[in-house]
Amino acid sequence: MSDCIDPYDWPEGADFDVLVVDDEPVVRDAVARMLASEALRAVCVDRGERALTHRALDACRLLVCDLMMPGMSGLDLIRAVRARRPGLPVLAITGYATPEVAAQVAESGATEFLAKPFDPEELLVKVRHILARAAPDDAGKEVGS
Amino acid sequence: MRSRIGVLAIAGVSLVTAVVFALMAGMLVGAHRSALLAQLTRGADQLSETIRSSTYWDMLENRREALHREIVTLGQQQGIEKVRLFNATGTIMFSSDEGEIGRSLDKNAEACYACHAAGSPLQKLSTKERARIYRAPDGHRVLGMIRSIDNEPRCWNAACHAHARSERVLGVLDVNVSLAEADRQVAHDQRRLLLLGVLAVLASSLTLGWFSDRLVFRPVAALIAGTRKVAEGDFNTTLPVKAGNELGDLAVAFNDMTKKLGDARRQLTQADKLASVGRLAAGVAHEINNPLTGVLTYASFLQKRFADQPEVAADLDVIVRETKRCREIVRGLLDFARQTPPQRGATDLNDVVRRSVAVVINQLTVDRVQLDLDLATGLPEFTADANQLQQVAVNLILNAADAIGGGGGTIHVRTAAVELPPRGHALVRAAACPKGCDLIDAGVRVGRHPGIRVLRRQHARDTVVHLDPVYGRAAHRATESSEDGTLADYLCPRCQTRLELPDARCGDCGAPAFGVATGEGGRIEWCTRKGCHWTRWAAADARGAQRHLELSVEDTGHGISPEDRDHLFEPFFTTKGNRGLGLGLAVTWGIVEGHGGTIDVTSEPGHGARFAVRLPWAAPANAVTRTP
Repeated sequence: MSDCIDPYDWPEGADFDVLVVDDEPVVRDAVARMLASEALRAVCVDRGERALTHRALDACRLLVCDLMMPGMSGLDLIRAVRARRPGLPVLAITGYATPEVAAQVAESGATEFLAKPFDPEELLVKVRHILARAAPDDAGKEVGS
Repeated sequence: MRSRIGVLAIAGVSLVTAVVFALMAGMLVGAHRSALLAQLTRGADQLSETIRSSTYWDMLENRREALHREIVTLGQQQGIEKVRLFNATGTIMFSSDEGEIGRSLDKNAEACYACHAAGSPLQKLSTKERARIYRAPDGHRVLGMIRSIDNEPRCWNAACHAHARSERVLGVLDVNVSLAEADRQVAHDQRRLLLLGVLAVLASSLTLGWFSDRLVFRPVAALIAGTRKVAEGDFNTTLPVKAGNELGDLAVAFNDMTKKLGDARRQLTQADKLASVGRLAAGVAHEINNPLTGVLTYASFLQKRFADQPEVAADLDVIVRETKRCREIVRGLLDFARQTPPQRGATDLNDVVRRSVAVVINQLTVDRVQLDLDLATGLPEFTADANQLQQVAVNLILNAADAIGGGGGTIHVRTAAVELPPRGHALVRAAACPKGCDLIDAGVRVGRHPGIRVLRRQHARDTVVHLDPVYGRAAHRATESSEDGTLADYLCPRCQTRLELPDARCGDCGAPAFGVATGEGGRIEWCTRKGCHWTRWAAADARGAQRHLELSVEDTGHGISPEDRDHLFEPFFTTKGNRGLGLGLAVTWGIVEGHGGTIDVTSEPGHGARFAVRLPWAAPANAVTRTP
């Protein structure tokens, strides 16, 4: 049923587009489903630490991550990802969307910011926008394809 | 227990007074007694000398009958106890007490002892040695004075030849004077001094007791009672400041401390409440937004899938719409917790009302509430945050619907451009003393607006007065009332600077006027006479009537009780039980305040309520904004 690709069942060399990091299963599934409707395949993990150690991070061309998670916070994850893949677009999603949080997100290097709850169209508008702007020299795309 | 200090002080002072009086009385009575005795002794000596001289010839010529009569007569004089004459062998020859004539006296008897103590009679004795004091059989004291009758040539040459030349002392005259009267007088003096001493001790104790009770114990007891009340959490406790002494100063300091404690607690409570709402909002936002994302996503997918089945699609529309409403509620809660400043832009008040009505109309239909819209035509656009004003309108309308309850009723929503005279409507938002202290007291509201805090000094008593910040309304609040018609000094409660204006007098009664600066050179003035409601705010008068846009929401509900009216705009105050968070009117208040407007509430319990929001159309040139 789920459109989430389990990272541990992820076959070597299989093609996918987006890495989704959120501790809430329903949000992961919903995001993966929305992306699937746009023919984007998603790999989902539940914690920042796992995203950082997983080889999928090097292969994706978009990272969607929650900000408040147990363990490593979304902001820390974004900073770590920025150090490893400076060109990777990042969409931060949060249930605690205040201007202060939005400012912190922008500072951490995320590309876009979306407040939960969102409906599919709101997410897809952002994703399309991000991917259209993404630099053609994005390493993930080249590796993945 | 309460008066232990007093009891000790009174006991100490009484003891000292009593000892001093006892010593003084002892000395006085002793001196008086000695002086009296010396006087009496001298008198007795003179008397005995007088008797000797007056009986001299009778003795020389041996006229015994005459001598006897004289002695008896003398003995009957007032104050004279007895007069007697005895010969050299001690036989009483003559006496006013005729019964003892002829009796012999023992030489060891007290009358003879002075001379005969050494065995042979002495020749010369001093006055003091000749005097003796003894007690008569009935107990009273008697002063005896002896005088020797010496031999002389006339005696041994006399024709009777009764005495030989060799004899030296022929006899002794003994005069006895009663001391009863003198003793009575001394005893009387003693009694009087004792009474005086008791009175002095009593008077000093009472005086000390009265003063310490009035000046120390009562103020201290009031202070203790006040401290207990504050400890119990009553920060409205004020002590009367009666005396200009140290305890008066203490009372002033206590009142100041209590006021500051109360302010600090109010601020803490408010901050605490806001922090709680913030935490709650953050938690709720995070927890609810995740499931809402799921609901919204899957409902949206279903909408697409069932786009060809109108009945299902309509139901799904409701799910999506309601989920989005949940999202707005959570965002509203977050917004409240964060108290966002208004994002101003050109705003049409009627438009705001129409959009608000669209939001609430379904709810009103369910509640069977009629909505009567009366929107003024030709309202000008003005600068405001349309979203926030929509929140105000929605809150007021929903509150009105709640007040009506399920029974049905009508809500009248009106917009209008109103011209409000400065008196009764212009609000002092900044007030400063000549030295620049901020006098606006957010902790004490006068008619829902922060009052202007000043100190009223009358007969050396200070009272905190919160002046009405609404120009011309004069609903001042004071912790203690004072008599109408009396004049008082008004001072800055912080730096004690006098607020009296040298260049202004009351326009009604001519009394001195006082005033505070309202920012940018303007000032508001009041009369120093209690009960005189004269006031002048030249800057506000010069601006003339102020143009406002008014949004009023009137309902036919149950009204607002006077007790509830004071708390209407406090966060978490609700009369709706579990159906409301109690944030609606607090948010409304904050928004209207942020726009420089006012909310006027009129209500008659049982007959509905009217909320009138008045927003300044354009900020006046010398805006009465609060100084930083």
